[in-house]
Amino acid sequence: MLEELLMAFINGILLGGVLALLAFGLNLIFGVVKIIHMAYGQFVMLGFYFIYYFHTAWHMPLLVAMAGGIVVMGLLGMLVQLLIINPLLNAPRLNQLLALASLIIVLENLAQVLWGADYRGIPISMPIIQFGDIFIRSSYLLAFLGAIATLGILYLFLHKTYFGLAIRSVAQDVEIAKGMGINPKVIYYITLAAGGALTGVVAAFFIPIYTVHPHFGASFTLMAFVIVVFGGMGNLMGGFISAFIIGVVTSITAVLTSTEVADILALVLFILMMMVRPQGILGAKA
Amino acid sequence: MKRNSTTSKIITVGVLLIIALAPLLATSEYMVHIGTLILLWAFVSTAWAYMARFGLVSLGHGVFLGIGAYIPVMLFNYYGVSPWLGMLAGVGAAVLVAAILGYSCFRFGLIGDYFALVTLAMAEVVSLAIVACREVTGGSLGCTLKASVGWASFQFDDKRYFYYIIFVFLLLALYIWRLIDKSRMRLALTAIEESELAASSMGVSIIRFKMGITLLSAGLTAMGGVLYAQYITYINPGTISGVGVSLSTCFKAILGGMFNIFGPLAGSAIMVSLEEYFRISFDTGFLGVSEIIFGVVLLVMIIFLPKGIVGSVSEWLNKRFGVARS
Repeated sequence: MLEELLMAFINGILLGGVLALLAFGLNLIFGVVKIIHMAYGQFVMLGFYFIYYFHTAWHMPLLVAMAGGIVVMGLLGMLVQLLIINPLLNAPRLNQLLALASLIIVLENLAQVLWGADYRGIPISMPIIQFGDIFIRSSYLLAFLGAIATLGILYLFLHKTYFGLAIRSVAQDVEIAKGMGINPKVIYYITLAAGGALTGVVAAFFIPIYTVHPHFGASFTLMAFVIVVFGGMGNLMGGFISAFIIGVVTSITAVLTSTEVADILALVLFILMMMVRPQGILGAKA
Repeated sequence: MKRNSTTSKIITVGVLLIIALAPLLATSEYMVHIGTLILLWAFVSTAWAYMARFGLVSLGHGVFLGIGAYIPVMLFNYYGVSPWLGMLAGVGAAVLVAAILGYSCFRFGLIGDYFALVTLAMAEVVSLAIVACREVTGGSLGCTLKASVGWASFQFDDKRYFYYIIFVFLLLALYIWRLIDKSRMRLALTAIEESELAASSMGVSIIRFKMGITLLSAGLTAMGGVLYAQYITYINPGTISGVGVSLSTCFKAILGGMFNIFGPLAGSAIMVSLEEYFRISFDTGFLGVSEIIFGVVLLVMIIFLPKGIVGSVSEWLNKRFGVARS
């Protein structure tokens, strides 16, 4: 039992890294465009399918297929900005939420029409690493390391480049950013492209771990939400830390009870956090 | 709500007459079935709009639908409890849950999209809980109401029974809407929506009024769940609780126009007909295509008709003819 719990803990940490990446994208979009991307998990699902398709139908080498998937998801992100978010920038929050929620319907059924309802995956066998009684799947470890590396690159992008600076300034204050000669529309496109590409990256790390089906994304949207709120909406550091907390808590609960109970627990944490501490674990009292 | 009273009365009576007479003109059982679904979802989304039109946009009415649908069915299937008692139990439980959830939301001052997201999460919690209790509820496979026809078990062979029963409930919901319009509650809730601080400094009890409208809305929504379960006789956490049905309830009200008394009815009529039309015209060969078109239509309507159809039409009439409409 103890080994099982320890393994659940380690898996929670490792998966937490990937979830951190996912939450980062959602958080970035929320922070910059001030929009809640309801269909974010569905983007991961699409990314997964694209990589699968490029690899199996077009016989691309896996890494090329992954790169292709990332690029396509980035473009799709911009398309969402162009077709849905731009026309709704000044609409009530609720309409933005619902528009992106109806995007969920479109994307899930699109996947079903294009690829069918069956589970699809690219079979890759990756070794299992053993430390004494503890077994770690190297696919999890790879995803974790990759996610951390990607987060590092994102950090550098946000803090060391002109576009990163522009993105952060739009996140802080759109009006002042405009005064500094930044066109927020361009920044929105870049943000959505980055957010879309991130879902492609997450999908690439998921390839050796999961198989995909049209409703694959829903639980990840939910997870990303929970993490973002737990860490404080728009607070990137908070999201990073809470990804590991949520990852470990759900992973251990799933081992002790069932995955539904783990999801319920995550959602209850989300609800309580929204009520009692909407600024998140790290946020200052507003 | 200043209205040109004679025209609006004529329209109201006309619409209700058409609904009342429709089953007599219907050529097939199927059309009555579609009509029943329209009225049912109109009832539910009208109840949803009670709250939403005062800025309390709940994306979690699946909580109440699920409770209302599951409790009477469970009681009947396992203990043979009459659905009439089960109905009371279901609605009562939903109101109780609404009281707990509503109070905690309002006590902590959740408003706007924060309220929307929290209620969305609550809907998912109830749906997951139903799946998790799979020994009792049948999990995600759903469960079937034991067949037993007659008034005592509230199931009928003839679809027209449910058509008219649900029509009566819809009338009740519309009547309550009018009562709310004339009441102090409307003034209080409008004031609260404008500014909670200003309202409370004028002595308006924010939590009390919000709770009042929430309990009313939740109770009627749960009744919608009961009616759904009795009519369809099959329930499943994916279709009657959870995020999907919560969102589609508010889609209907918003498309029709949630600030107008007939908005949710119009929205339900359009949504249910669209769904059926696409489902039939694309058959099983293109499973999913109908939903894609449906989603795109939704998107386009949310983007271009943000006030809803009834809202946009009356605005247009207003501009065109200068008629004083709401």
